[in-house]
Amino acid sequence: MQKEMAYSFPDEVLKHVFSFIQSDKDRNAVSLVCKSWYEIERWCRRKVFIGNCYAVSPRMVIRRFPEVRSIELKGKPHFADFNLVPDGWGGYVLQWIAEMAGAYPWLGEIRLKRMVVTDESLELIAKSFKNFKVLVLFSCEGFSTDGLAAIAASCKNLRELDLRESEVDDLSGHWLAQFPETCTSLVSLNISCLGSDEVSFSALERLVDRCPNLRSLQLNRAVTLDKIANILRRAPQLVDFGTGNYAAELQPDVFSNLAGAFSSCKELKSLSGFWDVVPAYLPALYSICPRLTSLNLSYATIQSPDLIKLVSHCPRLQRLLVLDYVEDSGLEELASSCKDLQELRVFPSDPFGVEPNVSLTEQGLVAVSLGCPKLQSVLYFCRRMSNAALVTIAQNCPNLTRFRLCIIEPKTPDYLTLDPLDAGFGAIVEHCKDLRRLSLSGLLTDHVFEYIGTYGKKLEMLSVAFAGDSDLGLHHVLSGCESLRKLEIRDCPFGDKALLANAAKLETMRSLWMSSCAVSFGACKLLGQKMPKLNVEVIDETEPPDSRPESYPVDKLYIYKSVAGPRFDMPPFVWSMDEAVKILH
Amino acid sequence: MCMELQLGLALPGSDTWSRPLLKLGLYEDINVNRKKRGFDHGYLEDEFSAASFKNYEKGLVGWPPVETWRRKKLRCQVHNHMTAAENGYCGGRASNSSYVKVKMEGVVIARKIDISIHQSFETLTTTIMTMFDIFDENRRSFKLTYQDKEGDWLIAEDVPWRTFVRSLKCLKLIRSRG
Repeated sequence: MQKEMAYSFPDEVLKHVFSFIQSDKDRNAVSLVCKSWYEIERWCRRKVFIGNCYAVSPRMVIRRFPEVRSIELKGKPHFADFNLVPDGWGGYVLQWIAEMAGAYPWLGEIRLKRMVVTDESLELIAKSFKNFKVLVLFSCEGFSTDGLAAIAASCKNLRELDLRESEVDDLSGHWLAQFPETCTSLVSLNISCLGSDEVSFSALERLVDRCPNLRSLQLNRAVTLDKIANILRRAPQLVDFGTGNYAAELQPDVFSNLAGAFSSCKELKSLSGFWDVVPAYLPALYSICPRLTSLNLSYATIQSPDLIKLVSHCPRLQRLLVLDYVEDSGLEELASSCKDLQELRVFPSDPFGVEPNVSLTEQGLVAVSLGCPKLQSVLYFCRRMSNAALVTIAQNCPNLTRFRLCIIEPKTPDYLTLDPLDAGFGAIVEHCKDLRRLSLSGLLTDHVFEYIGTYGKKLEMLSVAFAGDSDLGLHHVLSGCESLRKLEIRDCPFGDKALLANAAKLETMRSLWMSSCAVSFGACKLLGQKMPKLNVEVIDETEPPDSRPESYPVDKLYIYKSVAGPRFDMPPFVWSMDEAVKILH
Repeated sequence: MCMELQLGLALPGSDTWSRPLLKLGLYEDINVNRKKRGFDHGYLEDEFSAASFKNYEKGLVGWPPVETWRRKKLRCQVHNHMTAAENGYCGGRASNSSYVKVKMEGVVIARKIDISIHQSFETLTTTIMTMFDIFDENRRSFKLTYQDKEGDWLIAEDVPWRTFVRSLKCLKLIRSRG
């Protein structure tokens, strides 16, 4: 007995030690050591990350972690970004806010992704949390500028308001004027998603003026080019800036004013925005280009020569987002100018066009892989690819952690040999041992999945479309990819066999999405019955799945692990396969 | 290939059915996209059907995988780029103009209407009907439709006013059938 006590520390000491442990993984490990560590740890956990808001209930989180100050929640599946998840599916945050309002009076940070946030939720946040500091609404929807007005008015010490990629009902630009004169704490403000023509610019100017710690500001498209200089001169300490509209008739005084304003921003490292770009105004950026590490030109419809000129001024660039107007020639220039490049995203300017409208091929990506040894993250849309190119890229960039390739036409083969692209993607997973995220495209057989299952040991997220021949493909992935957390599949001939044979695997993953595949309703019911730790949800907007034979395939299937049981907010077109939930019609 | 069902779970039915996996069904799009209510094919002209589906050239929802918001923002800009767009540029009101083109089926010359002075469909419809000299007793045989920023043609009163105004690109008055 005495020996045990000699080896135990007082709680305060353990608490102090635990306070240095920030990562969720480490905190989870700490909590598993013994009962007393579990108890101490749960009382001092301040940050909670919930990757799927339906995996656990608010009450469960509150019960286990009573003193949380910061929460991050994700709602809809990733394929919601591409319209595959019908409206009304779910992801409502209100219940979370309501429960936390009572339990966490000191909650200071809320970060949400792909959730439905109503004005009511925002008003509740404004009312309930006296120390509220950070609100990030990433790709959210359901709220209007009225809700934002409530946040602005009530949150006296707001540091961050980031609405990136959200859909906001723009009722009035005057919400900005709701920030009280006493609010001087803003560090980050991202309103780039707002469409309102009348963003109260004078309110914005005054706000920027009185927030000396503002480091990150992303304006929306309604802010015209001539206003940028005003803002920048009020905030020369900015590190990250998103322009609004970057178009105006070329006027020398406007140009020199703008160039001067940019050059006064000695800390500026990251630029974005650039809607409606007039190329003649790009040289106004030249003074800060040598310091730029991140450039988002993915809305800039400027052509390759202008892009080349700009990029060649940015030798320190680490991150570039751009449209395919950059073309192979632009990427070759990038490869020779930007040796520090870590992340490249090339988006399609004409995604629905059948014929290529620009000269962007696999050559551009090959050039970058050759010239940029630090390349880690790639998102690339193009219209042709070859196994040879993929092998070259894999060999040049063994440090890739994210590789997402989208060949626009489904099932496109190697354009040189007409073979499937199995070998090419196989080379990627084989050479890139730290690959965590992979998106496939082009003509692919079950072989590519064999490679992925064999080599993709660190793969956490896989996106598959129009690929594979049979259940064997899915079986390779589920049985081989040890680190797999998220799997999303559309339009593949994967059916019941692989899914049922690997049912236990699903309990180790965050979620599985399958749409337009070959999984039968019967198999879904079976999974729902036999796997109580999984929520198996069938989505069908045309008719109830049980109005057809059990062997009939379901339209969409979303399976995720959950300790909360089936959810209560399912719309009529979502059916839970949980045995306890009767299908009512 | 022969696979064992390791959990001993058995399927009730056979697994030899087949179905087309690449859903090219345009009808799927109508059903899936609840926000934009479909219209009867016998109700509107073919022109509308074609325009509505031009975004889904192959009838594939969500492919290529470009985020919806990104597509919308880009489409607005590409339209601005191509100045000859017959329907005026997308987000015309973003350049401080609240005037929207109004056409009537069968009438060659289009008119323009200031959308900002209207707060409801009633006043808007009345103004437009008057503009084209359609009198009370005939008004019931016309329907107001609009093209939104994504190029789709929709029935004006099917969506809330705010949504309509936000996504409105141009208007067309058509004869209702049936």
